[in-house]
Amino acid sequence: MIKKFKKYIKIWWRMSVNSFSVVLSQKLALSVFLIGKIFRFIIFFLFLFFLLKGTGELAGYSVNQIIFFFLTFNLIDVITQFLFREVYSFRPMIINGDFDLVLVKPISALFRVLMGGADIIDLITIPPLIILTIIYGSSLEPTLAGILMYLLLLVNGFLIATAFQIAILAFAIVTLEVDHAVMIYRDMTALGRLPVDIYKEPLRGFLTYFIPVGIMMSLPAKAIMGLTTPFGILAAFIVGIAFMFLALKFWKYALTKYTSASS
Amino acid sequence: MRKYFQIFKISFEEEFAYRLNFILWRFRNVLQILLTYFLWSTVYANPATQAFGYDRTKILTYVFGVMIVRAIVLSARAMDVGNDVATGDLSNYLIKPINYFKYWFTRDIASKILNLSFAVFEFTLLFFILRPPFYFQTNITVFLAFLLCIILAVLLYFLILFLLSSVPFWAPELGWGSHFLVSVVIVESLSGALFPINILPRIFQSIILATPFPYLIYFPIQVYLGNVSGWALLGVILVAVSWVVVLWMVLNIVWQKGLKVYQAFGR
Repeated sequence: MIKKFKKYIKIWWRMSVNSFSVVLSQKLALSVFLIGKIFRFIIFFLFLFFLLKGTGELAGYSVNQIIFFFLTFNLIDVITQFLFREVYSFRPMIINGDFDLVLVKPISALFRVLMGGADIIDLITIPPLIILTIIYGSSLEPTLAGILMYLLLLVNGFLIATAFQIAILAFAIVTLEVDHAVMIYRDMTALGRLPVDIYKEPLRGFLTYFIPVGIMMSLPAKAIMGLTTPFGILAAFIVGIAFMFLALKFWKYALTKYTSASS
Repeated sequence: MRKYFQIFKISFEEEFAYRLNFILWRFRNVLQILLTYFLWSTVYANPATQAFGYDRTKILTYVFGVMIVRAIVLSARAMDVGNDVATGDLSNYLIKPINYFKYWFTRDIASKILNLSFAVFEFTLLFFILRPPFYFQTNITVFLAFLLCIILAVLLYFLILFLLSSVPFWAPELGWGSHFLVSVVIVESLSGALFPINILPRIFQSIILATPFPYLIYFPIQVYLGNVSGWALLGVILVAVSWVVVLWMVLNIVWQKGLKVYQAFGR
């Protein structure tokens, strides 16, 4: 098991180095995308900051709490983008039949198409994001248990995000559509930039149970603020595991539908 | 004129060829509006709240206004021009007896009409589901000024897109990068699509208002809401016209220079 894990780490490292090399060879494009991502983050950050400075609170949360929700969303979103950028390149692979070449290799096909192209642009933005999250997180004066629960729920959030990426890949095999599926997933999760408490029913229920943006993005931040219940936390982990289980089932089903067209 | 009408017809039909893509694109627009709507609805949960110069009715009208104005102004096909330049496909058009600018403007109009019709449907649907208070502008002069601002915004966005699409003449690898930076990030952030510019402190407002971006969405809706009137309205229209003229002149220079360095890579 450990040997297998080491092998996959080594493969991931090699694929990531290759992916980074491609991006680094186009420094101008890298700078433009990096500036764009940072600019977008700063604008939304300033918007929230000045909005809450004017209103004092939002849905009962203070400025720092709302910004912490926003930072937690970004953390999950950016790390997911960093690890799973290859998902965006899956459609051409399916359409021209190049996926055959992945299937015949002695590694997991899912691993290859999911993690085959880590994004260096997102990687650059992760350290400052973590620092900001720590700064705003500590301003909330969390307890040790709150921090531990935050980290665990963060991992659970990544688990659900990974499950969604797998489901998108499976969807791509079945329908040949991935671009909009990815963007719709991103638009849905973007609703988690702010605590799901601001949404009204039935949207709030939809974002909690169907597309569990609330569990992915809002719950970790709530845990650090001491606003979660043991039942809520338990339910979150059950949802995370269930989503991963269903996504893997869907992936296996999709593989049986792959027609190897055009190859 | 007839050939452009044919281009319009073909473009319109082409949009229907990829129905699923189009419907998913519209669905994404609805999702994006939900965040903004619920955010402002929560801020102005108390109907008596007055903040940043808006009350609940006006801010929610702003959010719904964004939906319509976006569909008219920001729906455009001209963002594909950069790809034509980068791949050398531009050559196909240069040898045809059509004006390349008019060709893309016609395609833009087809896209806008289709997007607007869907936006009206989404607007109606969300309006009946969410039942927000809405500010109906009854002053015909103000409404005409709003329509004029929309026309100027359409021209402005067309010119911005064409200028961006000129970047691949010199840096083909930057085709999508420059669009991402300007039309996805900067336009979304500074046009007023995400939030009304006047909630920011004065210094930020002054910087943003010195760019052409607020004339795309923010000012047309401000005019509709009656927040800009009299000499200020005239000023807004004059500045928007100036931006159109300046960008048109810059585009002509840039495009001519671009054509001189164009080497039809990939052809």
